[in-house]
Amino acid sequence: MAARSKSAEKLSPLKVATFLMRPLSLMPLAPLQPLLAAALAVMRRQHPAVFERLDELGEPLFVIDPIDLPFIFAMRPAGLRPSLLAQREIDTDQATAIIRGPLPMLIDLLEGRLDGDALFFSRELSVEGDTEAVLVLRNAVDSDEINLFEDVLAILGPLAGPLRFAAEARNAVVTGWNAAR
Amino acid sequence: MTTQLTIGPVLFNWSAERWRDFYFKIADEAPVDSVYLGEVVCSKRLPFYAEYIPEVAERLAAADKEVVFSSLALVMNNRELAGVSELADQTDSLVEANDLSAISYLSGKPHIVGPYISTYNEGTAGFFVEQGAKRIVLPPEIAAATIAELAKIGVELEIQVFGRLPLAISARCYHARSRNLHKDNCQFVCGEDLDGMELSTVDGKEFLAVNGTQTLSHSYGNLAPELSTLLELGVSHYRLSPHAIDMVAVAQCFRDQLDGRLDAGEATARLSELALGVPFADGFFHGQAGVDWTPAEV
Amino acid sequence: MNKSLTAKKLELVCPAGTPASLRAAVDAGADTVYLGFRDETNARNFPGLNFSRRELADGVAYAHDHNAKVLVAINTFPKAGDPEAWHQAVRDAEACGADAVILADIGLLAYTVEHHPKLRRHLSVQASASNKEAIRFYAREFDVKRVVLPRVLTVEEIAALNDNIPVETEVFVFGGLCVMAEGRCSLSSYVTGQSPNMNGVCSPASHVRYEEVGDQLVSKLGEFTINSFGEDEAAGYPTLCKGRFSVEGSVSYLFEDPTSLNAITMLDALMKAGVTALKIEGRQRGRAYVTQVVSAFRQAVDAASRGEAMPDLDMSLLTEGGQDTTGAYQKTWR
Repeated sequence: MAARSKSAEKLSPLKVATFLMRPLSLMPLAPLQPLLAAALAVMRRQHPAVFERLDELGEPLFVIDPIDLPFIFAMRPAGLRPSLLAQREIDTDQATAIIRGPLPMLIDLLEGRLDGDALFFSRELSVEGDTEAVLVLRNAVDSDEINLFEDVLAILGPLAGPLRFAAEARNAVVTGWNAAR
Repeated sequence: MTTQLTIGPVLFNWSAERWRDFYFKIADEAPVDSVYLGEVVCSKRLPFYAEYIPEVAERLAAADKEVVFSSLALVMNNRELAGVSELADQTDSLVEANDLSAISYLSGKPHIVGPYISTYNEGTAGFFVEQGAKRIVLPPEIAAATIAELAKIGVELEIQVFGRLPLAISARCYHARSRNLHKDNCQFVCGEDLDGMELSTVDGKEFLAVNGTQTLSHSYGNLAPELSTLLELGVSHYRLSPHAIDMVAVAQCFRDQLDGRLDAGEATARLSELALGVPFADGFFHGQAGVDWTPAEV
Repeated sequence: MNKSLTAKKLELVCPAGTPASLRAAVDAGADTVYLGFRDETNARNFPGLNFSRRELADGVAYAHDHNAKVLVAINTFPKAGDPEAWHQAVRDAEACGADAVILADIGLLAYTVEHHPKLRRHLSVQASASNKEAIRFYAREFDVKRVVLPRVLTVEEIAALNDNIPVETEVFVFGGLCVMAEGRCSLSSYVTGQSPNMNGVCSPASHVRYEEVGDQLVSKLGEFTINSFGEDEAAGYPTLCKGRFSVEGSVSYLFEDPTSLNAITMLDALMKAGVTALKIEGRQRGRAYVTQVVSAFRQAVDAASRGEAMPDLDMSLLTEGGQDTTGAYQKTWR
């Protein structure tokens, strides 16, 4: 717990807002790590039932590969040391499964706005590795109403106000992307 | 309980004469105790050989074999239902019920629960016994542990030990579909394939056999290597499902094994020759994928 | 009795694989939600899916607060010698306030009649009751109040059936389509050792592999190749009966094309055939699917009940391979 609250402390709303407003592809990875760690921590706190559904997997490593970004996310959502890291590259042999798709689509999936099966049928999303593990992950994140930005904002408490603007801006971008498909 | 060899109903669309001659040969030559007759797969086929049924039944009875009439597996309309009702009403022979409609008509009198009925546990088997079932033919996907539980009930148990495994039944006819025909105008193309139409994967691996509305395994189920285990479990009846191969020799092989004149290894070697190169499967019995072949005693 | 003269508004029965999907279904206008426990007692025993006892109790409360009902599917066949998990599921469904249980196994029906006589019983599609005598059998022996019809009947056959049985019927109108008679199919266990009847799964993900071979995406189930997709082709999950196979040298979707059932254009005919309830398949699909499909059918059912034309609703994104079919409801399908 101590480690997690420490990562949260490193974040200032301004810093986060700066990141959110920048083109993601230009983002340096090191400063992103505390945000990701905090996001995972808050998700675990807000949605314990989601993570309970992941328990059956042991300690899986999901590689989330947003094809529109120059880096991947290495996510270990279950087990003793859950982690979420942004990395330039990774040894995919260690991955339980690799999930590829455009970032806005991956976020929509996480938040339950898009149907994973439909995306897969249309081949916008690709999955490699342990199909069953991906299914567990999909069913788990779908089992509760996850709102990534609300959840992450929640850790910032009263300081969250300035960030809403950033989140709304980002939502507008995503909505535009959805409409354009 | 004595162990009995049985011949299951012919599942394929054989010509009426071939159908008749097959059963005549079984009556005259096969060392089996019980023989099942009737149309299980498609009600449209029955009229072709119906006229031979009395002759065949007589010849089998004269050869001292128990005759059982098998009912249709998937009953969808009143015409088919009338056929099931008629079968259930006759009193000459036992009926094997392959649909719940037949179970309903037969309740209160002795009958046989067929392999197309989902009998998976003692609760269901016990209910059927109370309704008058004297024998239960196990569905294909039954493992040894389940048989052990069902045997505790004390009803006769029958298991298919030879032949393609019936895996599914549908309203749709895949034989007709393969020729771009509708089921209503199927031209009985299923009659072209005596043991079912071979279906393989796109990379050429043999997989299934299509028999009109029915889908069977490509492999022949073969439990010859498990006969001693099945006997210990208390299975009383051993079914051979007819194919267009020398079924008298297949029956002789199992009879010899049951009588201790042939061991499991020799029996399977002989069956391999008789099966003309079709592989064997026994996975369901071992609680694995049905297609697996991991015989115990070979 | 001619039920078509007294046709009531069709009841919309919707899937929920998770608590969020249950809330989504209710919010989108479901009259009834069906679901299962997180174990082998139901036919959608998929990893990460389904309800704990606590989640069921909460779900029932949410549904009842919004005038919706909850049905609990306990529709696999109990394991020989060890039926306790299934008995427990029936007990817990009643204790959690479920409005009915959906059962398939005769032994479990008998158990429920004996020990939980007041718990309303529906007959699962897995029981494969496809004719009036089979349905009368279940009504007579176990007092089932509703039968979910196998997806093998035409609308005409359904109408004839409804005139001759003492129970309500529920039919599938959308989603994954079994082409084989349900509850009587061992194709999945032939290849994987796991079946809908015994394990509550068909073509389980644990046995699925996708491989890139050149520019083809190859899907495998166990040791068998089920399909191979070119670069521009819509992919599909390797459900065995939706695969591409070779027969006498020609490759085709012999059993069924990668397609989903969509009978939204037939609601009026189904209503006139005396059907009580419409079922949407897809407990394994996400809540986005639930929201979209339930909303569309809510509009369609409301329009049908007012005798209005069907609203124009595009659901092609939610169907397998982007295609749909009215399946066995039309005789030409056979």
